[in-house]
Amino acid sequence: MRSSIRALGTSLLALAVGLLLLAVGLHLAGYDAGAALAALWDGAFGSWRAFTGATLLRSVPLILIGLGFALALRGGALNIGAEGQFYAGAIAAAWVGVHAGGWAPWIALPSVALAGIVGGTMWMALPVVLKLRFGVLEVISTLLLNFVAEALVSWMVQGPMQEPSGIYPQSAPIVEAARLPMLPGTRLHLGFVAALIAASILTWIFARTWWGFRLRALGEGPRAAEVSGRVRGNRMIAVALLGSGALAGLAGAFEVSGVSYALYQNLSPGYGFTAIGVALLARLKPSAIVLTGIVFAALEAGAGAMQRDAGIPAVTVYVVEGVIILVLLLGDAAARRGLRRQVVATGAVDGIA
Amino acid sequence: MIAARALGWVLAGVLLASCATREAPAPFRVALITPGSIADAAWNSGAFTGLGQIHDSLGVPISHVEARTPAEQEEALRTYAAQGYDLIFGHGFEFQSPAERVSADYPAVVFIITSGERVQGNVAPLIFRLSEASYLAGMVAGGLTKSNVIGFVGGVELPPVREASEAWVAGARAVNPEVQSRTTYLNNWDDAALGREAARALIRVGADMLHHNADAAAIGVFQAAKEAPGVYLFGANADQTELAPSRVVGSAVIDLPRALLLVAREVQSGTFTPRVESFGLGSGVVQYVPNLALDSMIPVALAERVRAAEDSIRQRDGQ
Repeated sequence: MRSSIRALGTSLLALAVGLLLLAVGLHLAGYDAGAALAALWDGAFGSWRAFTGATLLRSVPLILIGLGFALALRGGALNIGAEGQFYAGAIAAAWVGVHAGGWAPWIALPSVALAGIVGGTMWMALPVVLKLRFGVLEVISTLLLNFVAEALVSWMVQGPMQEPSGIYPQSAPIVEAARLPMLPGTRLHLGFVAALIAASILTWIFARTWWGFRLRALGEGPRAAEVSGRVRGNRMIAVALLGSGALAGLAGAFEVSGVSYALYQNLSPGYGFTAIGVALLARLKPSAIVLTGIVFAALEAGAGAMQRDAGIPAVTVYVVEGVIILVLLLGDAAARRGLRRQVVATGAVDGIA
Repeated sequence: MIAARALGWVLAGVLLASCATREAPAPFRVALITPGSIADAAWNSGAFTGLGQIHDSLGVPISHVEARTPAEQEEALRTYAAQGYDLIFGHGFEFQSPAERVSADYPAVVFIITSGERVQGNVAPLIFRLSEASYLAGMVAGGLTKSNVIGFVGGVELPPVREASEAWVAGARAVNPEVQSRTTYLNNWDDAALGREAARALIRVGADMLHHNADAAAIGVFQAAKEAPGVYLFGANADQTELAPSRVVGSAVIDLPRALLLVAREVQSGTFTPRVESFGLGSGVVQYVPNLALDSMIPVALAERVRAAEDSIRQRDGQ
């Protein structure tokens, strides 16, 4: 309990330091920092339209991918390839969505989502096989497959999936039945609800199931878990990684069926990487990922508003995101050193976890 | 649990804040959305300059934002429309379909799509026939090339980019039927390192005259040309002589500020009707601008032919 309060403290500190640095930086660069932060806040939370249509809408892929990253890392595996799995899911979902002519929405919508899940899972299958068969580090294989996925999308929208007139590098629009309904009175699609449900399911798996407990045991002490004889490490890691890919693929499907309605080359502004920060800031806790996902989405939504209303380049916010993660990691490192000193001094391990 | 409660507080706060939002009657305002950085010394920077001129000449409030992904582009269009902007420039073909979706909800707002496709409701395109200027650049290149190989670096293979590339080759062949051409597409508008690699590859296969239509990625093309002796190039979208004064023979230029200002004036005065507005050499908005410092390179006969071609295109435009 003590350590989880400290973790929350570090997360809040990181956020505060990030925003403070933004304000100081803007002030030094000659901008009106107060006006800038006001624009940031307005763009993210200032109106119901901004909150639902800019912030929450952006949070959907961040939450889903963040959950997937947490799932894999709980088992000790790093999925850096969510961007690729996102695109694989988007390709599959767009393909189904374009060819769903004449389907009823209650068939088309689940099919599109399922296609995204299958796409993301398949994209993860290769790194899983490489890891279990040949010991190839998933950090490297998933990262490199991002580039392959981006090239695949480029080829798709200029080749097999290009819109019928053959002019523009994008797919044909998906049929109406395959478009996610909006929550009443907003531009926020149903995928947000799905993301909340996914977070609840993961919370339950981590906190209440035997499988979730063993996954965590495996992540925190692979040797000990294996030696105990109760954990089949390889299979669990495979399932966690594939689940991670599935969630990223689902995010890709929602982006196509809830936002863009067609496949494009630059569908993701780097969700797959931003979501790593989301999951780390939330300490891999699914319920907290919902919050941190909204925080990062708010920062990016606010970044646009800062440029629109205060004339400040939106990239400054990416610096803030980077600073937040750095402070977080530094805080953790400091906490670990403090803990080690405590252990050495008292000879007892107290409050680890 | 804490998380759920915190989320509840945030929601409550937002609801309160949104109730308090006030709607004031606004003056005429103009917004620009670019698909990339305005530091590209070409397509986006030209539009941003135009926005500044709208501010200076018409004295109206302006705003600009970058939006790279389809989701951000639609959101930016919708946000400006909801904020009561009267004229919104979506700077590139990618804004056509999102603008059509958004304009259905905001019939009083004028959406201008540069390099757009068609008129729908209050969405209207500005079309720039940059290919006419690229044709002239091609003629000069065809006359100057020693290796008989010319190269073109494109960003994304969009219709206006493909047309510029084809016109560049056609212009070169009109002067020099022996010319071989190579074209590379980067699938990217920002990656200068990629542009540099593509240009180097073209130079390796013998190209000594280069042209581009790749926005910020083309900065790398200029770097590659500067490093290779005997290689010259032609700028695009803006007068890019500055980027390599001893290597840029000329530029195929769009006077974006002039076109944007023209439309803004009409919309402000209420005389604007949605239509397809197309600019070529005849309008003066599209031009071939030679680098006067390198004028001595160009044989008189070649300069004559280029001028004659320009005149005949202008005349065709005029009819």
